Amino acid sequence: MTLATTREAIGEAPNPLGLEGLEFVEYETTKPQALGQVLETMGFHPVARHRSREVLLYRQGDMNIVVNAHHATDETPVLSAFALRVRDAAAAYQRAVDRGAWPVPADVKPMELHIPAIHGVGSSRIYFVDRWREFSIWDVDFVPIPTVEKRPPAVAGMHWFGLVQYIGLGRMEDWTEFYAELFGWQPLPDERRFGILPSGRLLQSPDGLMLQLIEPEPDAFEAEHEELLQRVGFGVSDVLAAVKELRGRGVEFVESEKVHSESRGAVTRTQLGSVMFELVKKA
Amino acid sequence: MKNIADFGMDTITMAGTLPAKLAAVRDAGFGQIMLSARDLTGHDAGVDAAVAAVRASGLRVTGFQVLRDFEGLSGHLHEYKVDVARSMLAMCAALGCRVLLACSSASPHASTDPDAIAHDLRKLAMLALPLQIKVAFEGLSWGRTINEYTQAWDVVCRADMPNLGIGIDSYHVFATQTPLDALQDVDPDKILLVQLSDFMWNEVRTPEERIDTARHFRVFPGEGVHSAMLVDLVRRLDRLGYRGDYSFEVFNDDYQQMPQATVAARARRSALWLAEDILRRSVPLPGEMRLRNEMRNPTT
Repeated sequence: MTLATTREAIGEAPNPLGLEGLEFVEYETTKPQALGQVLETMGFHPVARHRSREVLLYRQGDMNIVVNAHHATDETPVLSAFALRVRDAAAAYQRAVDRGAWPVPADVKPMELHIPAIHGVGSSRIYFVDRWREFSIWDVDFVPIPTVEKRPPAVAGMHWFGLVQYIGLGRMEDWTEFYAELFGWQPLPDERRFGILPSGRLLQSPDGLMLQLIEPEPDAFEAEHEELLQRVGFGVSDVLAAVKELRGRGVEFVESEKVHSESRGAVTRTQLGSVMFELVKKA
Repeated sequence: MKNIADFGMDTITMAGTLPAKLAAVRDAGFGQIMLSARDLTGHDAGVDAAVAAVRASGLRVTGFQVLRDFEGLSGHLHEYKVDVARSMLAMCAALGCRVLLACSSASPHASTDPDAIAHDLRKLAMLALPLQIKVAFEGLSWGRTINEYTQAWDVVCRADMPNLGIGIDSYHVFATQTPLDALQDVDPDKILLVQLSDFMWNEVRTPEERIDTARHFRVFPGEGVHSAMLVDLVRRLDRLGYRGDYSFEVFNDDYQQMPQATVAARARRSALWLAEDILRRSVPLPGEMRLRNEMRNPTT
């Protein structure tokens, strides 16, 4: 079994973890219903609730958003976790920890799944999930909400485009290295940009997922140097059509001289003090 | 205007409790202090109270020391050291401190392979990264494989992590008589900490002699017999573009028997000599952003 690696230097495969997109993104808030309303205007439907905790699953198309009130300490929603679909969750977790990631201690009740996780930026966590095809994590820990459509179609064909992370001043190289080392994500050249908020650096996962790193302006207030997951981005084929459809559902978009909806992208107005979404034209 | 903002004292120099040390350092006019893990773990009211005392002092924490014998181990020894590192990093982060000092291994159990050493340093830097901490790797003059700053720089380059650099301790440089010309090869942005001290005899030849002198007989710059070398070192670092901190790493049994204020006054005299006479820091450097950045208090 080891012959291939000891006799020939094949090097590491370009997608060492077998990444295949996001399984879910999680928000924490002590006011889950308020966030739920915001998600519903964006086209998400509540489809299941956790067996033992105050946690709800919202879904549209292939996107799952978990709203967790169980651990929350603040009513302002926080992007608290994202979950990567991988070939082998246990192996991906062990590989990350071997390389210096901080393990998140398991905290599961009997008969619940232990989903391995490492610490990410700020207080966030990064989960590894390998059960997402026929049999999923939702089948074990969650109970479907009766009578609702389990797989509601996505509004305007929205799908995960990526995540935006705010970083501290002078921290670009650190975080670029973090994601390259753990997941094999690579920076894109500066001329490749998406959407209408193109600052910072884009990292691309082998499966196409994007992570945008944004530093504070050099003259920013100290408080703006906090490191966190700031927003999620949805890819769409026709931004303006998506904007129109979402407006019809009650979503408000930022329309200023500098930042406004156009064919490349759009961004929603901040809700509940922290929650905004970005639409990005996906080629 | 006296400007000793770039200089700080080290808690290991003085006897007494953490609050007494913080007060002495602040009262002597210093704005920063180098802490040891023992300052927190040995505090009467516990680690959290110690962290609160440091934050309340208004002193910036220059760095947190010291992670020993980390690199080159395997199996359960490696896992054990990773746990120790996590614990130290968590305390360092709680203090809002941005630099963890790690010194080169003196363990006979450690590998001497520079690639294995670099691999472990890379992992240590990864552990520090989400906590906004940089790792300063320092060559102890009695280190088993790495005992000069030139070797420390070599393995740091091999490890190639943005938050990994070297720490330079004048004592160890003088003990091994490593030529200062090699500083030219070092990226000044990768020098994360400079510790200064002198001692009272000319040479320390054996590892035992180096350890004994290092732990009991150091003095402040200007009080020993290597003043010319210290001046040369500091001036070279300044010319190279180093704009980081200078901390006085003075282990001295006599200073443990003197009032903290007396010891801090000696440190102040030393800082004034280096700042005013040697580096001519009579006014703050223009465009000084570093202090502002360092004073950020992380919320996690």
